[in-house]
Amino acid sequence: MNVGGAIRALISFLIFVVLHYTLRPLLGWRAPMDFLVLALLLAAVRVRPATAAVIGFVLGLISDSLAPDALGAGAIAMTFVGFGASYLKAVFFADNLVLNAFFFFLGKWVFDILYFIGEQRVHGFELVQQLLLWSPLSAAVTAAVGVLLLFIMRPLLEPSTA
Amino acid sequence: MARAIRSNTRVDLIVLTTCIVLALAARALPNTMRDPVATGMRRSFLAPLVLLQERAEKGRQSLLSADAKQTYLDSLSLGSMKAGSLESENDRLRKIIGLGSRLRWGFIPAEALHGRGVRDETTVILSAGSRAGVSRLSPVIAPEGLVGVVDAVDPTMSHAMLWTHPDFRVSAMSPDGSAFGIAQAHLTGATGGYLLELRGVPFRATLKPGSVIVSSGWGGVWPRGIPVGTVLQEIKTSEGWARTYLLRPAVNPADVYSVMILRRDRLAKGLDGVWQNLAQVDAAAQRIVVSGDSAAKNAALAEAAARKAVLDSMARANGAAPLGATDSTRAVAPRPAPVRRAAPVDTNGRRDTTRRDTTRRDTTKRDTVPPPDLPLRPGVTR
Repeated sequence: MNVGGAIRALISFLIFVVLHYTLRPLLGWRAPMDFLVLALLLAAVRVRPATAAVIGFVLGLISDSLAPDALGAGAIAMTFVGFGASYLKAVFFADNLVLNAFFFFLGKWVFDILYFIGEQRVHGFELVQQLLLWSPLSAAVTAAVGVLLLFIMRPLLEPSTA
Repeated sequence: MARAIRSNTRVDLIVLTTCIVLALAARALPNTMRDPVATGMRRSFLAPLVLLQERAEKGRQSLLSADAKQTYLDSLSLGSMKAGSLESENDRLRKIIGLGSRLRWGFIPAEALHGRGVRDETTVILSAGSRAGVSRLSPVIAPEGLVGVVDAVDPTMSHAMLWTHPDFRVSAMSPDGSAFGIAQAHLTGATGGYLLELRGVPFRATLKPGSVIVSSGWGGVWPRGIPVGTVLQEIKTSEGWARTYLLRPAVNPADVYSVMILRRDRLAKGLDGVWQNLAQVDAAAQRIVVSGDSAAKNAALAEAAARKAVLDSMARANGAAPLGATDSTRAVAPRPAPVRRAAPVDTNGRRDTTRRDTTRRDTTKRDTVPPPDLPLRPGVTR
């Protein structure tokens, strides 16, 4: 990836992070979209697995800092998701919107599973309900929003042909 | 090539393991250490993001509360719109209660029901009838004064003729009884039906604008002292032998909702003291006007004197005689006051009424020796 592509990817990444802290609380949905996971996935497919793991770790710490009781849980989840997304990018990140949507859905759902298990705040039926109902819903919304943003930000996200 | 790939994979795994270990370490931190770490991150490089999130949360709260706020504002606006009418109604009812407490007895409270027909400005339906003691020609009054008279009575309601009716008449006078006349609706001109006129006032009686006119008690329908209106101005009519005055009515018929109907037995006792303060207020207003005129007159005199003094000073400064001074010596020198002699009084106590010019003064030089030709009186020695 050349310098221009890196800058565009960085701008896209920052836009997603800002959206996570502006649009997400403004909407306040019960099954919210996760722009941090989208940012991580879009960055992870452009870097090596080690770098993706570091990015995931940092993003996880950022999200955990606003919920100190779960400090570390988000970092673990993001690290795994980032590493896995970068490792599997050849499989998933093709030029296919449906495949991309599934990629976002899977990334968000895996993140939620890891996060809620690592957080250890929710147990029993509530945990099952969270992981099998609200997390898939949130993952679906995230996937939809991710695809929409991919469509909107295509000029910014497309890899340089040069 | 394969070695490089294996090396990269090893590095990736090492980094992944490191990140996982660090994350687990963060997860394993005790609460006493977890909070400072999170707080430090929020207060340092995450501060802008935290600020963005706070603003977004506030925006969401505003959006969520917008409907409730709008509903509250609507309710508040509706309440404020009602408050004005409630306040005026409350004021009106307080006046009615005050009138009732002054009347003490012999009245029937009633609601005035306005219709929407053509003649509604001149008649009104009252919510009390003969069962309540209302009879025909019972006066209808409001706290402000005269409203009308009952002209038809049903058992449960009655029909009243307002003062705006063309057939309505009431004998009226000034509170001090100096001017009498007949008050009726002023039906001519653009203000017809909304003003009163006081006709037949004797030519010698003059009413100043602002004077209160009350019912005179003549005629047997209206008791004495009910406010009818206030003098606005004199109007010219073809009647040369009497004056006609335009009155502002004490009661606007459109504002009449709660009234008092006076019973016939109450009329015989009079309404002394019910509107007594009205005459006092009128007298006080007259005194204020008079004192205001005096003050204005004094101020005008003082101003004229000051102006004259300035002109005199200017004239002296120019070397000319002061304005208005012709002969200063004659004008200034006082004339000697005439000396009056005491009139001679005779021994009998009677004044000497003889005119002085008729008596000749004795100009003869008085000698010590009397003239020889004068005879001596007997007993007188020389």
